[in-house]
Amino acid sequence: MIEPALPILIEDVFLAYGDHPVLNALSLNVAAGTVTALLGGNGAGKSTTLSTLLGFVRADAGRVAICGIDPGSQPEAARRNIAYLPENVALYEHLTAVENARYLLALSGDTQDRAAITDAFAAAGLQERAWDQRLGAFSKGMRQKVAIAVALLREVPVLLLDEPTSGLDPRATADFNALVLAVRERGTAVLMVTHDLLSAADIADRICFLEAGRIVEDVTADGPDRFDVRALHARFAVSAERLAA
Amino acid sequence: MNVVRLIARDELRLMARNRVAVIASVLMVLLTLVAVASSWAHQRGIADLRERHQHAAEEAFDGQPDRHPHRMVHYGTFIFRPLSALAAFDPGVDTFTGNSMFLEGHRQNTANFGDVNQSSLLVRFGQLTPAFVLQAVAPLLLIFLGYGAVARETERGTLRVLMMQGASRTQIVGGKLLALGTVALLLALPAIVGLVALAGQPGASALPMAVIVFGYTAWLLLWVLAIVLVSTLVRRSRDALLALIAIWAVMVVLLPRVAPSLAEAAVPLRNRLQTDVAIARDLRKLGDAHNPEDPTFARFKASVLERYGVTRVEDLPVNYKGLLAVEGERITSNLFNRYGSESYDAQGRQNAIAGAIGMISPAIALRSLSMAAAGTDFAAHRGFLEQAEAYRYSLVQRLNQLEADGVSYADDTAKDSGADRRKRVSADHWEAMPDFTYKAPTGATLAGRALPGLAIVLGWLAAAAALLALATRRLGERR
Amino acid sequence: MTLWMHELRLLMRQRLAATALALLAALTIAALVAGMAEVARQRAAIAAIPAAQNEDIGAIAAWVDKEKDAGSAAYYSFHPTWDAPSPLAFAALGMRDVSPYILRVRALGLEAQIYDGDTFNPEMALPGRFDFAFVLVFLAPLFVIALCHDLNSSEREAGRWRTLAALPNGGAALWRRRVLLRLALLWSVICMPFAVAAALSGAGFAAILTILLLVAGYLLFWVVLCALVERLGWSSTANAATTAALWLMLVLILPTLGHVAINRAIAIDQGAEIALAQRETVNRAWDIPREDTMKAFYARHPQWADSSPLTSAFHYKWYFAFHQVGDESVAGKVRVYRQGLEARDRAAHGLGWLLPSVGVQSVLTGMARTDLSAQLAYRDRIRDYHRQLREFYYGYMFRDRPFGKADFKRAPMFDAKT
Repeated sequence: MIEPALPILIEDVFLAYGDHPVLNALSLNVAAGTVTALLGGNGAGKSTTLSTLLGFVRADAGRVAICGIDPGSQPEAARRNIAYLPENVALYEHLTAVENARYLLALSGDTQDRAAITDAFAAAGLQERAWDQRLGAFSKGMRQKVAIAVALLREVPVLLLDEPTSGLDPRATADFNALVLAVRERGTAVLMVTHDLLSAADIADRICFLEAGRIVEDVTADGPDRFDVRALHARFAVSAERLAA
Repeated sequence: MNVVRLIARDELRLMARNRVAVIASVLMVLLTLVAVASSWAHQRGIADLRERHQHAAEEAFDGQPDRHPHRMVHYGTFIFRPLSALAAFDPGVDTFTGNSMFLEGHRQNTANFGDVNQSSLLVRFGQLTPAFVLQAVAPLLLIFLGYGAVARETERGTLRVLMMQGASRTQIVGGKLLALGTVALLLALPAIVGLVALAGQPGASALPMAVIVFGYTAWLLLWVLAIVLVSTLVRRSRDALLALIAIWAVMVVLLPRVAPSLAEAAVPLRNRLQTDVAIARDLRKLGDAHNPEDPTFARFKASVLERYGVTRVEDLPVNYKGLLAVEGERITSNLFNRYGSESYDAQGRQNAIAGAIGMISPAIALRSLSMAAAGTDFAAHRGFLEQAEAYRYSLVQRLNQLEADGVSYADDTAKDSGADRRKRVSADHWEAMPDFTYKAPTGATLAGRALPGLAIVLGWLAAAAALLALATRRLGERR
Repeated sequence: MTLWMHELRLLMRQRLAATALALLAALTIAALVAGMAEVARQRAAIAAIPAAQNEDIGAIAAWVDKEKDAGSAAYYSFHPTWDAPSPLAFAALGMRDVSPYILRVRALGLEAQIYDGDTFNPEMALPGRFDFAFVLVFLAPLFVIALCHDLNSSEREAGRWRTLAALPNGGAALWRRRVLLRLALLWSVICMPFAVAAALSGAGFAAILTILLLVAGYLLFWVVLCALVERLGWSSTANAATTAALWLMLVLILPTLGHVAINRAIAIDQGAEIALAQRETVNRAWDIPREDTMKAFYARHPQWADSSPLTSAFHYKWYFAFHQVGDESVAGKVRVYRQGLEARDRAAHGLGWLLPSVGVQSVLTGMARTDLSAQLAYRDRIRDYHRQLREFYYGYMFRDRPFGKADFKRAPMFDAKT
C-alpha cells in the first residue's frame, strides 16, 4: 500500500539570495487536517518558506513537495493543490464579490455556479448584501472571506496563510479563526505564517519558531489548555532577542 | 510668498534628483540646438541658392540679344522670393510652396518646386524646427516633469502634512506653478536665444519677434497651468499622466490634422485643369482672338482707329499688333486675377475654418500665430504671389508697349527673309526693365496677422488660470 | 476559452480600457471615412476630365479646322494625364494632396511643364493628412501604451500580484493571455473597419491580408516595447512616462531628424534649375540659324530628316524641334535630379528598417502607390505619353499633312494603366 503523499513536505532545504542564506536546513511537514503556525521575527525566512512552497523561488538544496509534487519544477501542478491568502487580500475593486470569486476560480481552472459561490460566501460568513457589491468598499476581513470562500470551493488539500490576522479587530480575528478551523475539519493541511502568538495558540495544532532559516522550537498542542501561552511567549521573546543579537 | 518659494524649491530639487527628468531635459535642449542649427543652415542654403539663381535669371534677362519684344514676353523671367528672417525659426508653408516662379505672358503660373515634391515620405512626419520643438516636444516634456506635482502629494498623503504645517492651498499650488513655470522658461530659453540670434539678420524686425516670444511663452505657461490643473483634479499621479498625454495627443497631434480635413471638405478648391478650362471658356466668351471678324476685337480695332483718326491699321502711328497684345494681356490678366482671387479666397476660408477649430485646439492657434509672425503663412505667401503677378503684368505690358512703339506694323507683319531682323528691338531695352523686388510685409503687418492666434492662446491661458483657481479651492477635500 | 472570456470581461469593466478601445475604433473609422472621401473627390475630379477636355478641345478644333495647321493644333491643345488613386490610396494618402494627380501637357517642351503643381492650400497640407496611416502609425502606439504599460506593475501596486501568481493558471500564462487579448482587441478595432473599407474600395485580398499582418506586427512591436519596459520593474507611472517618451522619440523626433539627415546627405539641385536651363536653350533658338536647330534635331530623330526644308516663313516644325532640342539639352540634369530623388526615397525606406513608424508608413504608402516613387512613376508615364503626342503631331507637321477636326480625335489618349 502506497502511503498518500504528505500535503506539505519540506526536507533539509537550503536557499540563499546571493551570499545571504535565508533557509538553512529547514525541515517542516504538515499533515492533512492539521494547522501549523510558523512564527518568527522579521527576516527569519517565513515569507521565503511560503514562496518556496508556491514555486516563486526554488530551493538550492533539499526537497520541497506539495502532495508529492515539486513546486520548483512543476509550479502549476503544485499550485492546483494550494489556496494562498497573502497578508493583504487585494482583489479587483471594480468587480463584485461574486465576479471576483468567479474570476479567481477561472484562474484556478475551476468553474462554479452562482449558488455554489453564494453558499461558500455564506459559509465564510459574508453577509448577503455584500455578495453583489463592488469590492472597493470592503474591509480586509470581508476580502479575506471572499478569498477563503474561493479556497473552500476549490477544495484544495493545502491552505497557506500569510499574516492573516494582522490588522483585524478581535471580533474579525475570532471569525477568521473559526473559518480556519472549519477548513481544517475538511481535511485541509493549513500552514499559517504569523506574528500573532495568541491567534496561533487558539487554532494551531503545532507551533514552530523559525530563526535564521531553521526551526528552533517545535511545540505541539497538548491537553485541554493546548498551549502554555505564557511559556511560549517567553520562548518567542528569547528567540526574537537572540535574533536581534 | 516665502512658502510658495519654498515649495517651488522643493519641487525643483525633486526634479533635479530625478535622473530621467534631467536626461530628458538635456536631450530637449540638445534637440532645440540641433533644430536651430539645422533649420538655420537649411534656410541659409536655400537663401544662397535663390540669391544665385535670382542673379543668374536677372543677368540672363538683361543679357538677351536684340529681340522682338514679344519673344521676351515668352522668354519671361524667373523670380525668387527672399526668405523672411524668421523663417529659420518657423519655415511654415515654405516647404510646400517653394519660392520660385516663372513669369511669362498669357499665363499665370503658381510657385513651383516646393521642397515637399523632392523629399521622401519622411517630410510628412513633420519638420525639425525650433517652432516644432516648442509646439510639440516641450509640452510633452513638461507633462513628464510636472504630472505628479500635486497628484503625488495627494496620493501619498503629504498634501495633508503640508497643509497641517500651515501652507495654504493657494501657496501649495502656487509653489508648484512657480517650479514648473521656471522649468518651462528654461526649456524655452535655447529656442528663444536662437530666435534672438536671428535678430541680427537683415529684415528681422522686433515686433513680430516679440509676438513670437510672447506667444510661445504663453503657450508653455498654458501647459504649466493645464498640467498643475489636471494634477490637482485627479487623485493618482498615473491618472494625471495618462490624462495629460491624452490631452496633448488630441491637441497637438490629432486636431491639427483633423482640422484641414474638415476645412477641405467644407470648402472645395477648383483644381487647375478645371480652372484653365473655365478661363479658356470665359476668354472665348469675351472674344475669339483667332477670328478676324470677332465683334470684341472689331470693336477694339474701331476704337483705336477712331482715337488716332485713321481708317486703316496700317496708317496708325503705332504698331497695332502691340496695342492688340496690350489689350489681350489686360483681358486675360483680369480673368487670371479673378480666378486667382477666387482660389485664394477659398483657401482663406479653409484657413478660417481651421482657425475656428483653433478655438478648441490652441496648438492650431499657436501655429498660425507663429507662422504669421514669421511671415511664412498663407497670407504672406499670397502677398508674394500677388506682388509677383503685379510685376509680371507690368513687365509684360511694358514689353507689349515696346512692340507697339518700337516695331512698325509693316515690319511686324512682314514675312520676307529680312523681316526677322527688322522686327527686333535693341537689347538695351531689357536692361531698362526694372527687376523684381519683393516688398516684405512690415513688422507691424506680421504682428497684426498674428493677433487672432495670440488672442486665442491668451484666452486659453485665462481659462486655464480660472479653472485652476477653482480647482485649488477644492484641493484636498475628500471625495 | 472561459479564461479568455473572463479576461475580456475584466478588461471591459475598466473604464480606461473600454473608452480607449471605443475611441480608437472611432478614430479609425473617421480616418477611413476621411480617406475614402478624399479618394472619392480625386476620382470625381478625374472623372470630370473628359467633359472639360471635350469642351476645350472642341473650341480649338473649331478654328484650327479652318486652316488645318497641325502646328496650331499641337500648340494650343492641352492633353490631360492623370494618376488614378489605387484601391488602397484611401488608407495612406501620402503625397497625393501635394503632388499633382492631374496634369495637362502640350507637345511643347516637357521640362517646362512636368514640374507644375496643382492647386492646393499649403496651410492645410502642412500638418499632414488625417488618414488610416496616421491613426496607425501615430495614434495606435499611444493606445497600446495606455492598455499595456501597467499589466504587471498595476497588479503589484494593487497588491494582487502574489494572489494571482499563486493560482495555477495565474503565472506567466496569465500575463501572456492579457497581452494577447489587448493585442487582439486593438488589432480588431483597427483592422475590422479597415478590412471593410478596403473591401469596399476594391483592394485585393492579398494586399488586405498584408496590411492586416503589418498592423499586427506594428502593434506587436509596441506591446513588446511595453513588456520590456515593464521588466525593469518600475512603477506604473514610470512605465507610462518611459513608453510615452519612447513613442515621442520613435514617432516624432527620429523621423524628423532622419528627414534632415537624408536631405542633407543627398543634395539635390532644385528642379527649378532644370527649367531655367531648358528655357535658355529653347529661347536661344530664336538667335541662331534655324538650320542649326533642325540639324541637331534631325541628328537625333532621323525619321523626320526627309521633311521638306524650311522656308523664310514661320513653320511650327521648327518651333517644336527647338522645344524638343531644349528638353534633350537638359536630359543629363533630369537624370541626375531623378537619381537624387530615388536615392532620397531609398534612404527613407531604408530608415524604415530601423524605425518601425517609418517602416509602416513606407510600406503603406508603397502599397497605396502614394509615395515618391509612385509620383516618379507617374512622371514616367507622362513622359511616355508626351513622346506619343510628339510623334503624333510630328506626323502631320513634318509631312505637311492637314490637321482637321477629325484628326483631334486621333490624338493618342493617356493610358492611365501603363
